[in-house]
Amino acid sequence: MFKKILAFPRKLIGYITEINRTKATDMMSFEVNEMENLFAILLFGSFMGLPAPPAAMAIELLPYMENELRLMVSRADFAQDAIASVMDILHVD
Amino acid sequence: MKKIAFFMGKGGVGKTTISATVAYQLSRENKKVLIVSLDPAHNLGDVFEKKLTNEKRPLGANLDGVEIDLSAWVARYLKESRNEIRSNYLYHSAINLENYVNILKYSPGTEEYAVLWAIEYIYREYAAAYDIIIFDTPPTALTLRFLAMPSITSLWVGQLSKMREKILKKRQTILAVNPKASIVRNRPLEDGGDEDVPVQGATDKKNDKIYIKLSGISARLTELQRLFSHESYLSVVVNPDTLSLSEALRIREELDRLGVHINSVCLNKTSAEGAGRENVEKNFGGCPVFMSPLLTEGVRAVSDLSVIDVEGVKNDLKAAE
Ligand SMILES: Nc1ncnc2c1ncn2[C@@H]1O[C@H](COP(=O)(O)OP(=O)(O)O)[C@@H](O)[C@H]1O
Ligand SMILES: [Mg+2]
Repeated sequence: MFKKILAFPRKLIGYITEINRTKATDMMSFEVNEMENLFAILLFGSFMGLPAPPAAMAIELLPYMENELRLMVSRADFAQDAIASVMDILHVD
Repeated sequence: MKKIAFFMGKGGVGKTTISATVAYQLSRENKKVLIVSLDPAHNLGDVFEKKLTNEKRPLGANLDGVEIDLSAWVARYLKESRNEIRSNYLYHSAINLENYVNILKYSPGTEEYAVLWAIEYIYREYAAAYDIIIFDTPPTALTLRFLAMPSITSLWVGQLSKMREKILKKRQTILAVNPKASIVRNRPLEDGGDEDVPVQGATDKKNDKIYIKLSGISARLTELQRLFSHESYLSVVVNPDTLSLSEALRIREELDRLGVHINSVCLNKTSAEGAGRENVEKNFGGCPVFMSPLLTEGVRAVSDLSVIDVEGVKNDLKAAE
C-alpha cells in the first residue's frame, strides 16, 4: 500500500528529471551552436571586413565546415550581430 | 653552414646579383647549391643566361636553379581546396563557395601564403640533397609579409584551436547529460535534409577533423618559423645611398619584431675605398658589414660572377651555425 502511494511521485520525479535534462541539454546545445557560429565568424570574418586570419588559411578548414557555414549563413541577424559576436569572442579567452 | 640563405633589400641594390654570385662561387668550392628565385619579376635566369622554370635545372657543376611561379602555386592550391570541398560536402551549399574560392586569388595574404608553402616544399624536397639553398627574394614588402606570416597566422590558429576545444568539451558535456542529444545541427527537413536524425559530431580532439586540420597547420607554421629563425642566414643588401640604407634599417627593425635576426649587411656597388661603409656600420652597430665593389663594366656574363667580391659574406655564411 505504502509502496503504491510512493509510486506516483516517483514516476513524476522521473518525468521531471527527464524534462529538466532535455531542457538542460537544449540550453547547452543552443550554447554550443552559438560557439560554432562564432568559430565560423572568427574564421571567415573577412567575408564582412572583420579582422580575420589569411583567407588562404581559412580555406583549408572550409571542407570541414559545412554545418557551421550553413548555421552562419542561415542566421538572419548575422550582419547586425557580427560586431557583437566578435566582442563576445574577445571575452572567450 | 646554415641550410638556407636569404638576400633581402631594396629593388636594384643587387639581391639577385649577390645571391647568384655567392651561389656560383660556393658551387665552385664543391658545395652542392640550389638557387631559388621567389621574385615574380624573375631575372635570376638572365644572370645565368638560362631560362629557369618551376622545375629545377642545372646551371653548372654543383649548381641548380628554380624559379617559383607563384601564380601556379596559388592555382594549384585553389584547385585542391575546391576538390576537397566537393568531396566533403553532402549538400550543395546555400552559399556559393566556388565564388569564394575564386576571389581568394585576389585576397590579401594569398600571395605570401603561397610563398610559404613553396619554401616549405623546396626545403622538404631538397634540403637533404644540397649543402645550401639560396633564395633570391621578391620586393621588400612581400618578403616581410611572408616572413611575418607564420607568427601572425599562428596566433589565429592558436585562438581557433582553443575555441574548438571548448566546443568539443561542451559537446561531451551534453552527451554525458543526455546521450540521445543531437550535438550537431542538421539540415532542415524543408531544405531536403534530415533534421530529425541526430548527428553525432566529433567530441574528441583526436577525431575532430577541424581540430586535426588546425593542428596540422599549426605544426607546419611552427616548422617554418623555426626555419626562418634558426636554419636561415639572413643578409640585407645595401648600396652607398641613403634610400637603400633606410630600407635596410626598416627590414632589420621589422625582422627583430618577429624574433628573426639578420646575420650581415652586404654593401654592394661600393667604391674600392669602401664608400658608405662608415655610415652603414654606424647604423647597423654590431652587425658585420661586407663589401662588394661596383664592377664598372657592369655584370655582363656568367664569368663575371667569379669576379664580384663576395668573400666576406660567403665565409660568414659558411661559418654560421
Ligand atoms: N657589384 C656590382 N657591380 C656592377 N653592377 C652590379 C653590381 N651589383 C649589381 N649590379 C647591377 O645592378 C642591377 C641591379 O641588380 P640586381 O641584382 O638585379 O638587383 P635586385 O635583384 O636587388 O633588384 C643589375 O643590372 C646588376 O647587373
Ligand atoms: Mg632581383
